[in-house]
Amino acid sequence: MIGRSADWLSALAAGALLAVMIACNGLLAKHSAPVFASWAAHGTGAAAALLLVAGWSRIFKRQEAGTQKKGPAWAYLGGVPGALTVVLAAITTNSPLALSGTIAFMLVGQVIFGMAMDCFGLFGVAKRPFAATDVAVVALVLSGSVLLTFGGR
Amino acid sequence: MMSGYIFLAVLNGLLIGLSRALNGKLGLMIGPLRASFWNHLVGFVFLAAVLMILGGWSVENLSAAPALAWLGGTFGALFVATNSLVLPRLGAIRTVVLVICGQMVAGLLIDYLANDAAIEPLQLAGIAIIMLGVFAARLSGTRKASGTAGQSAAKTG
Repeated sequence: MIGRSADWLSALAAGALLAVMIACNGLLAKHSAPVFASWAAHGTGAAAALLLVAGWSRIFKRQEAGTQKKGPAWAYLGGVPGALTVVLAAITTNSPLALSGTIAFMLVGQVIFGMAMDCFGLFGVAKRPFAATDVAVVALVLSGSVLLTFGGR
Repeated sequence: MMSGYIFLAVLNGLLIGLSRALNGKLGLMIGPLRASFWNHLVGFVFLAAVLMILGGWSVENLSAAPALAWLGGTFGALFVATNSLVLPRLGAIRTVVLVICGQMVAGLLIDYLANDAAIEPLQLAGIAIIMLGVFAARLSGTRKASGTAGQSAAKTG
């Protein structure tokens, strides 16, 4: 149970990290351009991750290991769709959708993808049928996010 | 035209999901920290190619950027590692919902603290509804977990 709560708190903290990242990258984009800023952030992010990997093996005196020894080579390509996101977001934020609309529809896309992953057990996630409570949770979080995003001045 | 942009924005959300799914899978193979490293390195090379094709190397005003602007990558590295760790453990939709919750609340706080934006009553209502959703997920999750524990106890009993 304690392990599970830690996972929940970690996921919430990850969301906060994401918001801070977006704020910093936005600041850099203001002084350059969206794609350039994301490129620079990917560079510094790679350096930071390398330091984290090195720090881990120093502190724990062993290499960080995965639980699955073998896996497909395409799992290394997560950076491509991640980087493409910035390019697409630069297009839609400058459209009639603006920033709020872009955020709202991107959240919808994320939820659809997450539902499909659970439903079919894709990418190493346990197969879990969609329950009525899940629908309620998704509806609450999405509508709350829309209120939050469009409710500002 | 509008529906085209809506399609692009939804597609963008799907791409975010795909990126996090691949990183979660890679995290299972080589560990979340290494997965974060590869994600950033591959993205760095990919965006370098995009910049070479489309142009947009804008470096004229970079010296005026505050130090904080350069820390986005570090927070991003921590985000990808954390997300890759919890995604296979919590399941996809739970992770998505919790990350959105953390992102929305933190985003509003950043706007309030850093950009001096006032928090509107509608936004507070939004936060309350998001929290309600996470609370509902937590309750149903605990009930389900204790339910299966009860079932297995009944089986062994």
